[in-house]
Amino acid sequence: MKPRVAVFDFSSCEGCELQLFNLEEKFLDLIKIVDVVSFREGMKEHSDLYDIAIIDGSIMRPMDAERLKVIRKNAKTVVAIGACACIGGVNKLRNQWTSENVKREVYGDADLEGNPLFDVFPAKAVDEVVKVDYYVPGCPIDRAEFTKVITAIAMGREPRLPNYPVCVECKLRENQCVFELGMFCLGPITRAGCNAICPTHRDGCAGCRGFLEDANMDALKDVLRKYNVPMDKWLKRFDMFNCKIKREK
Amino acid sequence: MKSMTKDQWFTFVDGLIQDDTRDIIGVQSKGKRFHFGFLESVQDLRLDHDVTLLPPKKFLLPTHEELFRFDISKLFEVSCSKPDRPQILIGVHPYDVIAIQQMDAVYQNPPVDDIYEARRKNTLIIASDILSIADRSFAGSLGNHVVTSGYDLLVTDLGDTVVIDEGTTAGRDLLKDFGEFQEALTPEIERVKRLRAELPARYKHKLKIDKFRWTELLLNNYTHPIWDENARKCFSCGTCTLVCPTCFCYDVDDVMDMNMKEGKRVRTWDGCLLRDFTLIGSGEIFRRAPVDRYRHRFYRKGVYLPRRFGFVACVGCGRCATQCLSDIADPLNVMNTLAASSVEARMDLPIPHEEPHRQKGPVFMPKSATIIRKEKMTKTDTFYEIELDSKEPLGHQPGQFVEVSIFGIGEAPISIASAPEAGRSSFELLVRRVGNVTTHLEALNVGEKVGIRGPFGNGFDVERLRKRDLMFIAGGCGMAPMRSLVNYVLAHRSEFGEVSLLYGCKDPDSILFNADLNVWKTRSDIVQKFTVDYCQDGVCWDGNIGVITNLIPLVDFDPVKTAAIIVGPPVMYRFVIKELKNRGMTDENIIVSLERRMKCGVGKCGHCQFNGVYVCLEGPVFNYGDIKDLPEAF
Ligand SMILES: Cc1cc2nc3c(=O)[nH]c(=O)nc-3n(C[C@H](O)[C@H](O)[C@H](O)COP(=O)(O)OP(=O)(O)OC[C@H]3O[C@@H](n4cnc5c(N)ncnc54)[C@H](O)[C@@H]3O)c2cc1C
Ligand code: SF4
Ligand code: SF4
Ligand code: SF4
Ligand code: SF4
Ligand code: SF4
Ligand code: FES
Repeated sequence: MKPRVAVFDFSSCEGCELQLFNLEEKFLDLIKIVDVVSFREGMKEHSDLYDIAIIDGSIMRPMDAERLKVIRKNAKTVVAIGACACIGGVNKLRNQWTSENVKREVYGDADLEGNPLFDVFPAKAVDEVVKVDYYVPGCPIDRAEFTKVITAIAMGREPRLPNYPVCVECKLRENQCVFELGMFCLGPITRAGCNAICPTHRDGCAGCRGFLEDANMDALKDVLRKYNVPMDKWLKRFDMFNCKIKREK
Repeated sequence: MKSMTKDQWFTFVDGLIQDDTRDIIGVQSKGKRFHFGFLESVQDLRLDHDVTLLPPKKFLLPTHEELFRFDISKLFEVSCSKPDRPQILIGVHPYDVIAIQQMDAVYQNPPVDDIYEARRKNTLIIASDILSIADRSFAGSLGNHVVTSGYDLLVTDLGDTVVIDEGTTAGRDLLKDFGEFQEALTPEIERVKRLRAELPARYKHKLKIDKFRWTELLLNNYTHPIWDENARKCFSCGTCTLVCPTCFCYDVDDVMDMNMKEGKRVRTWDGCLLRDFTLIGSGEIFRRAPVDRYRHRFYRKGVYLPRRFGFVACVGCGRCATQCLSDIADPLNVMNTLAASSVEARMDLPIPHEEPHRQKGPVFMPKSATIIRKEKMTKTDTFYEIELDSKEPLGHQPGQFVEVSIFGIGEAPISIASAPEAGRSSFELLVRRVGNVTTHLEALNVGEKVGIRGPFGNGFDVERLRKRDLMFIAGGCGMAPMRSLVNYVLAHRSEFGEVSLLYGCKDPDSILFNADLNVWKTRSDIVQKFTVDYCQDGVCWDGNIGVITNLIPLVDFDPVKTAAIIVGPPVMYRFVIKELKNRGMTDENIIVSLERRMKCGVGKCGHCQFNGVYVCLEGPVFNYGDIKDLPEAF
């Protein structure tokens, strides 16, 4: 029997779900190997009977966390897709401020007291709330990688993400390093898998796939200094998808 | 030597491009740099390049290469991939020609990589003399700024004319078929000679130590502080291996088509600087620290390959130096630093004796085989009896291994657990579930097919063991290869002296081959001792409890006459060997079988190497004395 797949979105731009549509004819191939039973972006039907839950978006509110826990209970396999779900992504930039300040900044003096929709905690990646089995990182996700992960799961094979820096794919594509072009790049510390799309288009990597476990931060800082990249610029780039600052409340 | 006017040269190259029996690949600009790419117009061809971003190896060992195709909806169906079109590489610099010769030596060393060889035979090389010198190249110091062989044609662009040296008859035929040319005039030949003679002086960067002394220098400096200092800045990004013309390790993976029926086995570039290069299923990484990986690359270039093939595996192109962001990859800097501050701590790093290879035919194509018996042995271990569909005997030695394939999932090296028996066409395996291949193997049933390659590696040398006392020491899964030897010895019992078997497992439930153990127990001519790390409550166990070293004092053996054979998990070796040596056993009498990550099984992919030893060729069985001084062995 084909595995049943449901797609759920939390706090995100939905760009990743859009990527699923952009699979076009590949999407038709994909639904030959899996049954999509729930996908808010793409269909009206909904079912709570699914094997694989695909989650996009970060978790921002107690009510989201509760919904996510139910999904985890229903699903055999949970796959987080996109930077928002995998590492928190841009949503975590918000964690630099208290939620009071963020609310005031966005909604001014509107009275939000007691409204659960506005009851937020610091942005969390999916695996900070429930166990995640597999990840498809990136902002947005790479369609080819998504297909690869889903086919692997359907084959009963453990999908594995590349565990090496973006530079590897950049070299395989024979790019001239963007440092030589006067730009800077987080490729040496970022997990590959996007086929080095940004450097290939002559832009430095911003780290959207998350930093490697063994990332050599100090070495990269030395390189950034060597190329005279202003510190405020690279600090901002470090935070863009991988903001580590946590300020509770 | 021949010569062409510039117009004749353009017409010649244009003729090659127009003739569509071959792919014409030439040097072209890419931004401010250069690369090898398919030539569409002769105008794009550059012969004034300094160096290309990637070396021409990408056309001999593509970054992604299909090894064969399979169809998993059929019982067992594999098909060879279509051979590539013939190709001509134009503009290959002398150092890259030399690098291709090195690659030929490695890939065409038996067992020959037939896929590489086919492509190589289909490739003509039009080399070109160096006109501009790359910023970080030091090919001049290595003598690699010129070549005398390894090309079909060698062209020197003198501006007004192009002088051509014919290296092979294939090159000469190409000229005849596509070109108009004349005999080169003496002044033209003189100009070529002068250009080459003046090259070395034009290199900014010079080696301070002759390349023939690299091996010695490195052997004296395994513990030099430069390794740690530089490795601290390493990203483990693999750039220095990917861009290097003399690095050619690869990974292998199965990729399914979207129809989930057909798929292909592919090999992709890999490199020893990447963290997971030596990762195995248990999670162990053999070169875990960046410094181990960083140092390995230099030793491979300056010690391991030179010892095996006689050449220094760096041609001085300077690509790694230019493209390593931390600028720590440059062999010139490292060798010059070592030469100036050698710590003179000599280490030998010998390569043990390699068995000549008997492998014939396509090396990557698995043979179809059928599971004829399957038995679950423990929660995680399953026993299989397998027969090649050709009904040929496998022809193995105890201690050798096979590569087992499940198409769409992958391939895993597994020891042969049965002794070779005359006239028997089946063989046995014991497989522990750890990852993708082994999990899928567990789900297969009698009658289903697997792919088999091998037997591979160097097994137990039964001739050397004959007449001696033997002590088998097995831990966990190590009982699988050990069983092939034990059963061999028991079948030829009179040819051996005293025999004892020590076997340790995690707990009584993980004991393997109970049926064999019960048969062995009935024999009085083999001493047997068992131990488990712990025994669950309520389980009946009359053996020892504790580590396997505790069993050694229980056996009465003569350390001079006895050979100890040890197979077990990596952690076991150190303790067991220490205990044996305490009992007076010499290194020469200890035999071990080692595990490493493996992909090819035939000495090409590079994964199984430690200190230049290929476990898939010289191992997995080693005499302890041969490898004990290798820092990466245990
Ligand atoms: C010479 C030799 C003999 C072996 N004999 C046996 C045996 O008799 N029984 C048994 O159960 N296991 C044996 N192993 C270990 C077995 O090869 C691994 O457990 C197996 O490769 C894991 O594959 P996987 O796809 O299930 O795991 P994954 O973790 O999915 O591994 C992916 C790939 O990495 C490589 N790899 C991973 N682990 C190892 C490893 N330990 N050694 C080599 N390559 C690895 C393989 O190419 C494998 O397909 C042996 C290993 C070697 C080197
Ligand atoms: S990861 Fe990026 S593209 Fe995907 S939902 Fe989040 S913000 Fe959008
Ligand atoms: S451009 Fe970025 S990813 Fe590419 S090699 Fe340079 S640092 Fe690495
Ligand atoms: S290059 Fe970097 S920022 Fe761009 S997609 Fe890849 S990981 Fe993300
Ligand atoms: S030495 Fe340089 S190029 Fe090589 S892996 Fe380390 S950082 Fe990358
Ligand atoms: S080690 Fe560096 S200089 Fe030597 S051949 Fe390789 S890339 Fe070129
Ligand atoms: S070199 Fe590939 S497994 Fe040994």
